[in-house]
Amino acid sequence: MSNVNAYHAGTNGKEGQDFIDDFLSEENSALPTSEAVVLALMKTEEIDAVVDEMIKPQMEDNPTIAVEDRGGYWWIKANGKIVIDCDEATELLGKKYTVYDLLVNVSTTVGRAMTLGNQFIITNELLGLETKVESVY
Amino acid sequence: MSANMAVKQALKANPVPSSVDPQEVHKWLQDFTWDFKGKTAKYPTKYEMDVNTREQFKLTAKEYARMESIKEERQYGTLLDGLDRLDAGNKVHPKWGEVMKLVSNFLETGEYGAIAGSALLWDTAQSPEQRNGYLAQVIDEIRHVNQTAYVNYYYGKHYYDPAGHTNMRQLRAINPLYPGVKRAFGEGFLAGDAVESSINLQLVGEACFTNPLIVSLTEWAAANGDEITPTVFLSIETDELRHMANGYQTIVSIMNNPETMKYLQTDLDNAFWTQHKFLTPFVGVALEYGSKYKVEPWAKSWNRWVYEDWAGIWLGRLQQFGVKTPKCLPDAKKDAVWAHHDLALLALALWPLTGIRMELPDSLAMEWFEANYPGWYNHYGKIYEEWRAAGFEDPKSGFCGALWLMERGHGIFVDHASGLPFCPSLAKSSIKPRFTEYNGKRYAFAEPYGERQWLLEPERYEFQNFFEQFEGWELSDLVKAAGGVRSDGKTLIAQPHLRDTDMWTLDDLKRINLTIPDPMKILNWQPVAQ
Repeated sequence: MSNVNAYHAGTNGKEGQDFIDDFLSEENSALPTSEAVVLALMKTEEIDAVVDEMIKPQMEDNPTIAVEDRGGYWWIKANGKIVIDCDEATELLGKKYTVYDLLVNVSTTVGRAMTLGNQFIITNELLGLETKVESVY
Repeated sequence: MSANMAVKQALKANPVPSSVDPQEVHKWLQDFTWDFKGKTAKYPTKYEMDVNTREQFKLTAKEYARMESIKEERQYGTLLDGLDRLDAGNKVHPKWGEVMKLVSNFLETGEYGAIAGSALLWDTAQSPEQRNGYLAQVIDEIRHVNQTAYVNYYYGKHYYDPAGHTNMRQLRAINPLYPGVKRAFGEGFLAGDAVESSINLQLVGEACFTNPLIVSLTEWAAANGDEITPTVFLSIETDELRHMANGYQTIVSIMNNPETMKYLQTDLDNAFWTQHKFLTPFVGVALEYGSKYKVEPWAKSWNRWVYEDWAGIWLGRLQQFGVKTPKCLPDAKKDAVWAHHDLALLALALWPLTGIRMELPDSLAMEWFEANYPGWYNHYGKIYEEWRAAGFEDPKSGFCGALWLMERGHGIFVDHASGLPFCPSLAKSSIKPRFTEYNGKRYAFAEPYGERQWLLEPERYEFQNFFEQFEGWELSDLVKAAGGVRSDGKTLIAQPHLRDTDMWTLDDLKRINLTIPDPMKILNWQPVAQ
């Protein structure tokens, strides 16, 4: 079964007039509600290791994780949340690597992104509205 | 001896920390704030902003400065060392090198506007954490002004045709697309209610449109040989995610007040339309008409970043709190398919005013456009073929696309809300033209969404449009006055082709014999005297 979050999944998998018809259809003219989050990470030696050794292995447990090489950056999409533990990255890289070092190369997020201790978290939860912000402090 | 032992035991039980967790410092710093019973802001808001609002990244000055300095070292180090040695500036496809003259410069204006927008939010917010986030954004935006200017500066030094990269701040004075930048990025980011500015800047401009403008644009840049822009733009965007969080916390800070929903939907709808109105056509033109090598149709990028992800992950999840589908969404989607083709037609018709070298789509590009936008060839492609045959590129032809349009009754107007030009009789996008009289003067609007915003606050739109400002100017005189000539004093910076032969001069432009008209007058849409 193909991943619902794949880069060319859904409407974008169609071409030409089929794409336009689907894109402009009545069904696709109202607000969608998505359970996903998106992350774009600049390619660097640290990020490449984080993607290969920490994010891709999570695909076994969470098959909604999609990772796409977009040239200058990694595009990552998943349902729920993505957590990057920078203590784990520190061990992997063999040098001190804090969450603020990671943020040097986090190019964009769609979802609610935050730091928690030495972790970077992006979640689809509406922090402060659905979930108490204190729960992550 | 026993005292030393006691100290050793105490230290063993409670060791002195070798370092301090920055997030602990952040938590501690939040106690150092003034506790006002009531705070009066210079930039007020009709919303009530919660004093307990959080800042999701928990920044301290030390960690912020360390993080940003690493970004600068990496970015400028790459540009000044590796990319310089590789002669990266001259490996860019000329079509892309030209369009970056506009993209980087126009974005610079957005960063200036964002400095003011985030600063006024710092003044208005009540929560110390929230203000902390806005304050970091002010500094970020100053960084981004330098970075976007540096792209033009770098190209000016390393690209084989620097003209335009070196003086776009001057040239944009006559660029008919630039008023669209001023409306969306200037006025939209920093005028009106403070929370409305946040919605324009952070929730829509940054959380939605910077993803295609700054992130996915880097794919097109790389595909067209540009390694400079990805280095800089992806670094810019590493700050944007904190700005998106600021925008989200603006919404969180006002959501608990039941009065909020009286205003929020309208402000959100207006902000989305305002930002979309400029960014959807402009980014589409830059990507598809400013490239030789295509990545994917702009409408697909828009579907991914704007509709499925931004609308779905941000707005869609807020529906449970009363947020509804913006009424303009179906029209915005239609624009995502066609508005950039409409704008490209006008940009090519008005090429002498753009300050860059542009060329008509070649046969390969036409094939790509027709495959991805069926119907494109019959609507636009045939016009471009006729223009080419009539001498569009030939400096001795005296041909001008704008005159060709007007001679056939296709008037070009300026939308008084967005500031962008539009051609009602040739548009395939969501154009529904309206002409409204106010205080004895008639105004053109491209559609009802902009007109409605203007009707509510006409004082926000007191500007002269391009035609009003330059009516009566002869075209070559206008281009010369705006600095649109190269160092020989006669060859134009803008050109209708990419060759270094047969370049147009002021004399060639004079041959067109075009005096800037005000279409509202010549097409008799002014009120008729009784």
